[in-house]
Amino acid sequence: MLLQLNKVSKWVQSGGQKVYLLKNIDLWVHEGDFISIMGPSGSGKSTLLNVIGMLDSFDEGEYTFLEDPVHTLKEKHRSNLYKQYIGFVFQSYHLIDELTVKENLEMPLLYKKYGGSERKALVADMLDRFNIVGKKDLFPAQLSGGQQQLVGIARALIANPKLILADEPTGNLNSKQGEEIMEIFSGLNKEGVTIIQVTHSEKNTSYGSRIINLLDGGIV
Amino acid sequence: MFKNYIKIAWRNLWKNKGFTILNSIGLSIAFGVAIVLSMTAFFELSYDDFHEEGDSIYQVYAKWQIPEGSDIQTSQPMPLAIALKDEVPGVQRISRYLDGKTLLIYNEKELTADMSWVDPDFFELFSFPIEKGNDNPVNDKNALAITNSMANRTFGSTDVIGKTINLLINGKKEPFTIATVLKDIPDNSSMEFEILGNFKSSPRYKRLKDQWDHSNHIVYVQLQDEISVPQFEKSTQSFANLHFKENIEDTKRDGASPNENGQYLQLKLHPFKDLYFTNSKLGNLVVSRALPYIVLGIAFLLLFIACVNFINMSIAKSNTRLQEIGMRKTLGGTKKHVFLQFWCESILIFIATLGFGILLSILFLDEFKTLFNTGATFNNTVSFLSIIVFALVFFLITGVAGGYPALLLSKLGTLQALKGKIQINGRDKVRDILMITQFAIVILLVSGSFVLWGQLQYMRTKDLGYNKEYVMSLPLNGKKDGNKAIKLLREELKDQSDIISITASDNNLGRGKDGSRYSSSLGFDYKNRQVSTNMLIVDYDYIKTLDIKLLSGRSFDRSFASDSLSVIINEAMVKELEETDPIGKQLAVINDSIRHTVVGVIKNFNFEKLDRAIEPMSLFMSNQKNVRYAYFKISNADISTTVDKIEKVWKSLEPNAEFMGSFLDENIDRTLRREKTMITIITSGSVIAIILSCIGLLAISLLVVNKRTKEIGVRKVVGASVTSLILLLAKDFVKLVVIAFVLIVPIAWWYSDRWLQEYSYRMELSIWFFLAAGILALGIALATISFGTIRAALQNPVKSLRTE
Repeated sequence: MLLQLNKVSKWVQSGGQKVYLLKNIDLWVHEGDFISIMGPSGSGKSTLLNVIGMLDSFDEGEYTFLEDPVHTLKEKHRSNLYKQYIGFVFQSYHLIDELTVKENLEMPLLYKKYGGSERKALVADMLDRFNIVGKKDLFPAQLSGGQQQLVGIARALIANPKLILADEPTGNLNSKQGEEIMEIFSGLNKEGVTIIQVTHSEKNTSYGSRIINLLDGGIV
Repeated sequence: MFKNYIKIAWRNLWKNKGFTILNSIGLSIAFGVAIVLSMTAFFELSYDDFHEEGDSIYQVYAKWQIPEGSDIQTSQPMPLAIALKDEVPGVQRISRYLDGKTLLIYNEKELTADMSWVDPDFFELFSFPIEKGNDNPVNDKNALAITNSMANRTFGSTDVIGKTINLLINGKKEPFTIATVLKDIPDNSSMEFEILGNFKSSPRYKRLKDQWDHSNHIVYVQLQDEISVPQFEKSTQSFANLHFKENIEDTKRDGASPNENGQYLQLKLHPFKDLYFTNSKLGNLVVSRALPYIVLGIAFLLLFIACVNFINMSIAKSNTRLQEIGMRKTLGGTKKHVFLQFWCESILIFIATLGFGILLSILFLDEFKTLFNTGATFNNTVSFLSIIVFALVFFLITGVAGGYPALLLSKLGTLQALKGKIQINGRDKVRDILMITQFAIVILLVSGSFVLWGQLQYMRTKDLGYNKEYVMSLPLNGKKDGNKAIKLLREELKDQSDIISITASDNNLGRGKDGSRYSSSLGFDYKNRQVSTNMLIVDYDYIKTLDIKLLSGRSFDRSFASDSLSVIINEAMVKELEETDPIGKQLAVINDSIRHTVVGVIKNFNFEKLDRAIEPMSLFMSNQKNVRYAYFKISNADISTTVDKIEKVWKSLEPNAEFMGSFLDENIDRTLRREKTMITIITSGSVIAIILSCIGLLAISLLVVNKRTKEIGVRKVVGASVTSLILLLAKDFVKLVVIAFVLIVPIAWWYSDRWLQEYSYRMELSIWFFLAAGILALGIALATISFGTIRAALQNPVKSLRTE
């Protein structure tokens, strides 16, 4: 078992009333799963993903990640945990505009205190693996959307995470680029990487092994 | 990691070139100006600090009780120093110091030397560095110490030990031997001289050495270690009572009341270190280091403004980097990482701008020195201590101005940052407070320069009671004595129609090119009361030449042979004498047997600086003492030709003396040097403050406008006019200026008022000075923000809405 959510709820106070963003979510993820989270706008898909990624907190319930009780951990331990095991892919890529492709890939390694030669080797590996060696000195603005997302995925993978969280990874891409990205995810999954993606597209869910439908913060 | 920070910092700076340039210009200027200003201040504060024993040297002064309160006398009678050492216990070293100009003659060369006469203890009290020769030259009565540059001027070399020169003393050439060459006097010395001689060889020593009633020099003393200053002052009481018995009797009789110790005269010690900063005011010595601290304050304020700009711009610009911060945090960056990254960026800018600032200060140091009239250079201000202080200040600035925005950004939550939603708490409040402070500083400096300027104008244009435009004064600095020189001048120039009249006196009005200024006052008995008066020796036609108004009686007249014993007094003197009709009254000014008759009363005129009230003044005829300045009233037809004529005649009379004639209004201006320096400092300070604030304001207004583009678009779509939009955008800034104005005006008013109190003649302080400063600040602020606002208001709303 990679992670488990047990009756997790999250709410905000609005006009004296609790508005639930997540309500009694029970969820377990095994290593090697490829899970798609679906649901209409505002159903809490991204919130759930952020809670799983430990970027967001929750108000009630328990969350166990690799035997560690996340809900009791301090901020610092939590960030160590996700630093080590989780990679993020975003709809709008979130590459740093001022850094080249190579430097963007290198950044997570800097925060994880990898040595210089090791960093070089890992970056070269990634560039090679995604076939973007020729683009390593370009800035994000010089790439197409699909290429940028490719870099985004490469960056998420570079520190060898157990889990990839993807928030509508193909949302900003045209259908052909989207397909390519999904192929890559599917390939990664076959290599053993656990993936959780948020998506609107029925087609994208077909790459996954499990679908979770959300409505108004609860699983249906 | 660090390399990565630098790289991204550099690329970011490059991407936002406009802001980077604005920011860097502002900071560079601020650093440059702060460097030169603090150099000046430290230089001023370092005055006289090179004397090793400086902390334990004191100047002796006398505090007399007079009917009006108390009076300070710093000059002492000749026997005092010796007697003090012999009769009062506790004196370690003591030296008299008499300053004057002496004519030096070496072969055919004649030079006016700045000469000081001192006692042998002088070289142990003070640490003037010796280049070569005897280390205490003034032990010998005929030995001299000469400074390096004076030696070069006189002999053309410094290899002069043992050479003999002549000094003109009491009209006679007397030979002296050079025993020592001194290094040049440090720039920060308040004592200046070119030659030092033994006090016992000074011109009037023989005549005055036992006279207790004639004071003409300063006495410096160092006490024995175990004696404290109050102890010593107390033990001089019986000494003073003994030696100044007669004067004490006089002041008692006039109704002076004794001080708290029952004394009429108290000898006191004033620390030598404070001397450069001392003024005597209302019977007290006041030590004020205000000017250098004002300069330091301005440097600090300018740096503050630049830092405020930096903080505001950094925070405002961070909008564009929120996603980056969020991303870095998701990829494992901690608070510490983000903080360090942004801090590094700031430090990068600070170091670069500091470099530019130092460059600027080096480039403009010379201009600065002339402008501010200071001797500060890198050589005499850069020291280990000043570098440490400077480094500390620099790190403090980078710590606060660079650290605060970095801290705010590092505290952002990951998700909010990623989504670009920022809620930095109190951020706008801090910005507002900083900007209010900024405007307040600008208004303070601007109103300060307005007030100073007003007072200067007032002093320049005030009717001083004499003609200052068309009268030239000429120092009679040649070999001939003054009375002879003026006689010859009169003869040579009598046929010139463009010289309306000629006269002479023993004192200048204002400060002439020779820089000399002195006042002479004396007290005498009148109707069993002590009265005091200033004394001026004048030649015929003084009143006519200077257009001084004669109120009653007559001027000195060649047809009255008795005028050598006549005196003309001013209104203040009439009051001092308490006479309703003083004409014909007799004054025993010199002693009881010589009586001067009052023949005329003149209107008060300002013979001293305008920070002093007009004191009683008596004019005596020139047969009693030599005159030292000639005055020419010139017709306004062709002034420069006339001046040339006078110069030519002067050169023919005194071929070796410099012609230093100058018009009285120039002389008046010269006395206002302190005020002018202050005006230059504060005005340039305020100009730079304005420029810096404009830079900050421009950047902030552009960002605010950017942030509100959508709002502007929406408002326009629903029908807002361009004017109302500009008003809307300007309103926030106007509010800040108004708040700043309200907060700072009381402070500015209070400070200006206090400053003006120093002047006996001062303009009325009016609210308009401050209002003008406020309006100026407001106008500049509006002009600055209009760059961004007008463009935004004119923009097509479709365009601005589409950007969302």
